[in-house]
Amino acid sequence: MTIRHKATAGTMQSSDAMITVEPSDSLEILIESTVRKQFEPLIREQVEATLARLGVTTGRIHISDRGALDYALSARVETAIQRAHQE
Amino acid sequence: MIDPALWREARALVESQGLRFEPDLDDLVGLYEHDRLIGCGARQGYVLKMLALEPEHQGTSALGDLITQLLASARRAGHDTVFIYTTPQAAPSFQAMNFRLLVAQGAVALLEHGPGLEAYLADHAREMKPGRNGAIVLNANPFTLGHQHLVEEAAHRCDQLYLFVVREDRSVFPFAVREALVREGTAHLPNVTVLDTSRYAVSAGTFPSYFLKRLEEASRLQMDLDLRLFAQRLAPPFQVVTRYVGQEPHCPTTAAYNRRMSEILAEHAIHWVEIPRIEASGGAISATRVRKALLRGDFSALESLVPPTTLRFLASPQGRPIVERLRTSQEATP
Repeated sequence: MTIRHKATAGTMQSSDAMITVEPSDSLEILIESTVRKQFEPLIREQVEATLARLGVTTGRIHISDRGALDYALSARVETAIQRAHQE
Repeated sequence: MIDPALWREARALVESQGLRFEPDLDDLVGLYEHDRLIGCGARQGYVLKMLALEPEHQGTSALGDLITQLLASARRAGHDTVFIYTTPQAAPSFQAMNFRLLVAQGAVALLEHGPGLEAYLADHAREMKPGRNGAIVLNANPFTLGHQHLVEEAAHRCDQLYLFVVREDRSVFPFAVREALVREGTAHLPNVTVLDTSRYAVSAGTFPSYFLKRLEEASRLQMDLDLRLFAQRLAPPFQVVTRYVGQEPHCPTTAAYNRRMSEILAEHAIHWVEIPRIEASGGAISATRVRKALLRGDFSALESLVPPTTLRFLASPQGRPIVERLRTSQEATP
């Protein structure tokens, strides 16, 4: 899939994550999380895996995480990408 | 555009929480439970404010709902980064939502969400040079011989001189023009770098006072916050050890700001240097004098007040609509 325009998914609620994606020439993943120090590598891994599964190779992905578990993070990323892919 | 019922109910809710309702806003979001307003929040540009919740909904998911909507509203308006000014007591609630504290000063804390300051500094990383550097923060509405003199005097006294042009567009000369004239008027100085302040100059225009008990505190708090933001967040990454200002003989607000600046900068071990203004035919050169001369169409007076680069612009086709705007506006402040 391709990020054709800006899109968002998720909320600022505890245990959720808010994802904003937009087109870019390269792949940039920006992670903000109150548990960044402990979990950033795991969050990044989850996001990268989801993007790879969807075939996304470029884009600016901004994650504002509030302790979302793997499946929640993945679902929000996928929704944001699908919204960004739609014409 | 904003539902009148929401407006009314939000005002009542805000005031019931001991806050002031500020009507200057671009968007207002209301959170309802069974048709009753239990929470609200507003946005003006990239600044969020007036977040109020009924006591029984404080500390619940209600704040997250409001912030989610306000961030979405900000995004639709083109803002990736938002600010919130709030009380220091409320700051942790926002920090839990990935808002980062930029600066706090007594009764007020400023936080941001989004790429923000980190992105700004990363964008300017190439312009950060080591050394004993200086800074001038200027509006330059427009760039005069007075500004040029200040810049030249400062440039001789430091390694790299950073000119932070105020980004906010509340002046008759739009930012793009002000910045261009600063660049052109300082192109002859090899150690000068021109930057914009982005969101990191707290102006009276964007500073909300809804949470202040006494409205008269607003001006002083805004000044202090702006000065601390500069000292704590802008000066260190650019290795600025001295801030330069022009002596202020006329405007009492600027004079008060300069005095406060010397105090706050001293707290952060930053030097403060006041450079005397140059004069031209009976008086210090100032942007105010320039605008008055422009209103009179007095180009011969302008020649002694602005550098050739600015004069060229004022006489150009691009300059004329600005002069017209000046004529129709009531602008008298520098």
